[in-house]
Amino acid sequence: MAEPRFFSKEWADAVRDAVVAGPSPQVREGKLQEYWDFFELIKSQYPASWAIGCRDLPPELGESPAYLLVQWGGGTVTGCQIIGPDDPLDATYVLGMDYADWKALHDGYDAQRTVMYRKVLLEEGSLLEFFKTIYFFVESLAVIGAVPAVYPALVPG
Amino acid sequence: MTERKSPTAVLTEGPRALTDEQVREIEESDLQAVLDVDIDDVIEYVHRDLKSLPDFTTLYRKYLKQRWDVYDLDFTQDKIDWNEKMSADERESFIAISSGFHHGERQVEIELPVFMIGASEEEKLHIAAQIEDEARHTVFFDRFYREVVGMEGDDIMGVLDASFPWVSETFVGPFGLLAYQADELRRNPYDERARVRYGTTYFLWIEGVLALSVMKVTLSYARWRGFLPAYYTGFTATCRDESRHVQGGMKYLQDAVRKDPTMINEIHETLRTILSLAGVASRRIYFEPLGWTEDEVTVLFFQQLRRKLNDVGIDLAPDIEEMLQFVQPQLAGG
Repeated sequence: MAEPRFFSKEWADAVRDAVVAGPSPQVREGKLQEYWDFFELIKSQYPASWAIGCRDLPPELGESPAYLLVQWGGGTVTGCQIIGPDDPLDATYVLGMDYADWKALHDGYDAQRTVMYRKVLLEEGSLLEFFKTIYFFVESLAVIGAVPAVYPALVPG
Repeated sequence: MTERKSPTAVLTEGPRALTDEQVREIEESDLQAVLDVDIDDVIEYVHRDLKSLPDFTTLYRKYLKQRWDVYDLDFTQDKIDWNEKMSADERESFIAISSGFHHGERQVEIELPVFMIGASEEEKLHIAAQIEDEARHTVFFDRFYREVVGMEGDDIMGVLDASFPWVSETFVGPFGLLAYQADELRRNPYDERARVRYGTTYFLWIEGVLALSVMKVTLSYARWRGFLPAYYTGFTATCRDESRHVQGGMKYLQDAVRKDPTMINEIHETLRTILSLAGVASRRIYFEPLGWTEDEVTVLFFQQLRRKLNDVGIDLAPDIEEMLQFVQPQLAGG
């Protein structure tokens, strides 16, 4: 089966399944159980939504900025879709990211450093509330980045 | 380094009373003489002026006298100690703790410039000096990791990449928050409430609590064992620099609350976020090879936080007091 294109509907569907499943056993193995207990506790109660944007999609993938909208409720993902630049955007937290950083994340760049080095930025929403669940976000971002997809090569310059 | 006290002795000794001579020794020692200064005296010195905080010009003048050349340090003996005298367990514990500092110093260097924009002219002098301090501390760790630990990299980021596997997943809590708060200030550098929230994360939590606690763990180990003289010298000089940073940061927060008492709410809200993350660890760090237990490090954290809050006159809300019971050591600083 061919891999979906990054920021396509099929990719968003795959992201939903991956995020609901959560980090792989290999990832979980490397960290303490109390960390994952905290992660699961947040996940079970998380009432918010993320719109994680791509500011500069390659033209063949669509118009920019586009957003991956992930909605949470009842311990699962209740909605996961692509929102285009002309569509209404309603999310608890709106975050922005460049295509190069999405691709780097997919190629294995660390999700924690993606946040720490401000490669993904909070553009709308309460910063202090967002950070109360930052471990949950970072682990989920790593899962999203690892979803198999076709990422066009970067164009120099 | 003649004294060989247990690393944790300070936990039971209580606050030290520094003599004028000891204060002079801390303030005026050149880099070579810093090797003979007791780290517990330097940490006490951080708190000495918290009740009557020096103004920013005084802190800037102290900086001019206390700045040191990171390239004057000679790590030859440290390399011998690291490779031939320290056990594998000691090395592993040491690097697990110091890697949070390796990355933390880089973070506090690059996140500080935006805070300067909204500061008074006198405070700008102090912050400019602090940025230079943090850059020097970044080079200090770069040299230590290259020349002693033996990590390789084409540039500073290359060495940071090499030590990143030792950085805990929970590092993103305080340091990611600081990065995002810096971005908040980038967008509106004169927002006083955002500045107080930023100052709480940077000056009170990262520098005042995390940094001083972790400095104490590795430095007291080095002093106790008589190992790593250049590390001890450079990092104790770093601690002396931090005393100016903490004092300046506490002055900023104290002035902000005195000017507008509702600013205490911003401090509390920031602490609620920090403490809601501080009860979770992602890795088990073994402090024992360095002469500490996890419980003792936690006590050290509490001591550092309580002394800052008490000396500066910041009261905590009851729910924050309750959250403090669940705090775990975060092995990082800046």
